[in-house]
Amino acid sequence: MGRIRFYFALWAAKLSVVALKITRHNGTNFPGVVALRLCPDFLKYIQKPERIVGVTGTNGKTTATNMARDMLANMGVNALCNSTGSNIATGISTAFISGVGLSGKCRYDTAVLEIDERSAKNLFPYFAPDYLLVMNLSRDSIMRNGHPEYIRDFLTTYIPKSTKVILNADDLIASSVSPDNQRFFYGISRMEGDRTEVPNLISDLQICPRCSGKLKYEYIRYSNIGRAYCPDCGYTAPEYDGGASSVDLENMKFRYTLYQGVHSQGATTSDGPGAGEAVDSLEFPVMNASVFNIYNQVAEISLFHVMGYSLEEIRKAMDGVGITKSRLGTEQVGDKTVINFLCKEKNAYAASRVFERIHQIDGDKEILMYNSCIGDTHHWSENVCWMYDADFEFLADDRIKQIVVYGDRGLDLKFRMLLAGVDESVITYVEKPEEGIDKLKLFPNDNIYILYGTDSFDLGMKTRRQVIDHIKACEGNDGTGKEDGR
Amino acid sequence: MIVESLYPEVADLYGELGNVMYLQRSTGCQVIETGLNQEPAFLTRDDIDLVYMGTMTERAQELVIERLEPHKEEIIQSIENGQRFLITGNALEIFGKEIEDRDPELLGGRDPVTRGLGIFGFHTERRMLHRFNSLFHGMFQAQGTQEAIDIVGFNSQFTQSFRDEELKPLFSIVRGRGFEPEGSGEGIRYRNFMATYIIGPLLVLNPLFTKYLLQEMGEKEVSLACEEAAFAAYEKRLQEYSEPDRGFVY
Repeated sequence: MGRIRFYFALWAAKLSVVALKITRHNGTNFPGVVALRLCPDFLKYIQKPERIVGVTGTNGKTTATNMARDMLANMGVNALCNSTGSNIATGISTAFISGVGLSGKCRYDTAVLEIDERSAKNLFPYFAPDYLLVMNLSRDSIMRNGHPEYIRDFLTTYIPKSTKVILNADDLIASSVSPDNQRFFYGISRMEGDRTEVPNLISDLQICPRCSGKLKYEYIRYSNIGRAYCPDCGYTAPEYDGGASSVDLENMKFRYTLYQGVHSQGATTSDGPGAGEAVDSLEFPVMNASVFNIYNQVAEISLFHVMGYSLEEIRKAMDGVGITKSRLGTEQVGDKTVINFLCKEKNAYAASRVFERIHQIDGDKEILMYNSCIGDTHHWSENVCWMYDADFEFLADDRIKQIVVYGDRGLDLKFRMLLAGVDESVITYVEKPEEGIDKLKLFPNDNIYILYGTDSFDLGMKTRRQVIDHIKACEGNDGTGKEDGR
Repeated sequence: MIVESLYPEVADLYGELGNVMYLQRSTGCQVIETGLNQEPAFLTRDDIDLVYMGTMTERAQELVIERLEPHKEEIIQSIENGQRFLITGNALEIFGKEIEDRDPELLGGRDPVTRGLGIFGFHTERRMLHRFNSLFHGMFQAQGTQEAIDIVGFNSQFTQSFRDEELKPLFSIVRGRGFEPEGSGEGIRYRNFMATYIIGPLLVLNPLFTKYLLQEMGEKEVSLACEEAAFAAYEKRLQEYSEPDRGFVY
């Protein structure tokens, strides 16, 4: 009966794909919704690729999933991926549906799946990823994810024991996921710009997991990301099985090294951050200079190493792979630069990374802060607790000439920024987002940042186009201030 | 003015350190941060104007109970003597009888029952697979006046508490859920002990309540940091929460 029901659900889901195409609807999860509604254990029956790679964690999983898919493509592997859909059961079902024919036979050997942390409970009873990359675990949506320790316990409970997990050793919460699994730890050795004191409001793990003493850091990048140790009981973060060192941002390169103690963690702290002697090493170009994205890249190299590829193969596969432009894109319009930057709403940790990055980049700037939960506007009211975890203090910067906020949460953002030390004359409040575009000062060499979240993604993309058009209209067709580019 | 922030290294979820920050920014008060391996200052000093403790993880609750348990009688005496406390989020559960896990799936073999300090007569049930989210609109009755202050905020919790004896609530409820699933009140108010399930920067979001609190703490001329912006955001939120068709439970 189960199989009959499965085929009925599969064909109905396939039919829904055709119907969506005919009616020109973009229901990226709809086939999965149909399948799971008709057959709740659809994921049990659908044929899946032989090799399944999962990517999870609070931040960076979309970037890492897309990178893994693109790298595999460069290696000649056409992997099934849920990059156009969601990362929960319906989205993953939709991806699997697209990978099989009407007979149910799977056409792919490999799947790369972005997996929402909370969906582990609904997914892993039906399939076990061969490899699971856990990017990081940090504060996220308060309503859904509670706190990172909860997500750590959640993942540990539901990740199958057969899955090889690849963990960030510089994140003590993420690195304690699934202690009974085969694990590979990655990290980044000391680099320029490191500190020893936490510079951020969020520090999700301040006490030693063993003795509750106050943790210290040999080096720290942001929040609790760095190399932690406990001066009271000697507890240390895991050694790296593979990691980046000699990060050189001037020449945009780093060295990735594999260490002897792979999976064994037998080396002592006197061996340095790597577990034992170096066994292989190769230089890689830095894809993006933000530390957060270097972690994404190091995570990717580590994943591919555990999957069995050599460092040479990995470097070659990374050639030409980048971060999706819809998440971070730059467009030059005359002397103005328009930067669209995904800044997840209700996620203080992600917002702090974006604010810090804007602060680090040279030049005078204007910011359209449009990362509000517009979905909540009519039905609910956004929970603003995240604003008091986020480092708005990075925006108290003389080079930021204007910050435009809008709508229902605009007054909350203004208040928070005033408390952070942003001058009131810098903050402009408008009722509607399009009104913010007219407020842009468009000074010479202006860098205009458009911040948007996943909820306001379409608004962000629309605003980007409008800003570019506005600059061209104000200053000439190519933004140079001269008509027709003359 | 001296504010003691209890265990800020763990009791810091959901932007709740914003509460102490706002008091500090508004009054320039001295803030004592007491860590897990230190003795609370309010137990040995009589000049602490407010003891604050905020939301934490479930494991941190166990650690805090472990640290405070040896001082239980002194804490009771301190409350009876009128020490002012503001306790937010699940930190209030520490003062009840016990917290029982009803979703043991995530416990990893740990004991499902955590004994609390038992200072107040209530118990808590925890369901780690069922998170409750809601907006909150309530009223606070200032002592010695007829005036009530509108309170706005957020609930986001895995838990639900139940009174085992009569306890005066901190806020009455206009909309949203209170301390118990059924009942008209939210939080606990006993002498100068104030505890609420409302999470986050409660004082930042509620400037009228914060002004009242500071006056009670002895501040004569109360002027809040960025007061105009604080009231503009508060009034906007209050207006939203007063709309009858505004969804409250997420």
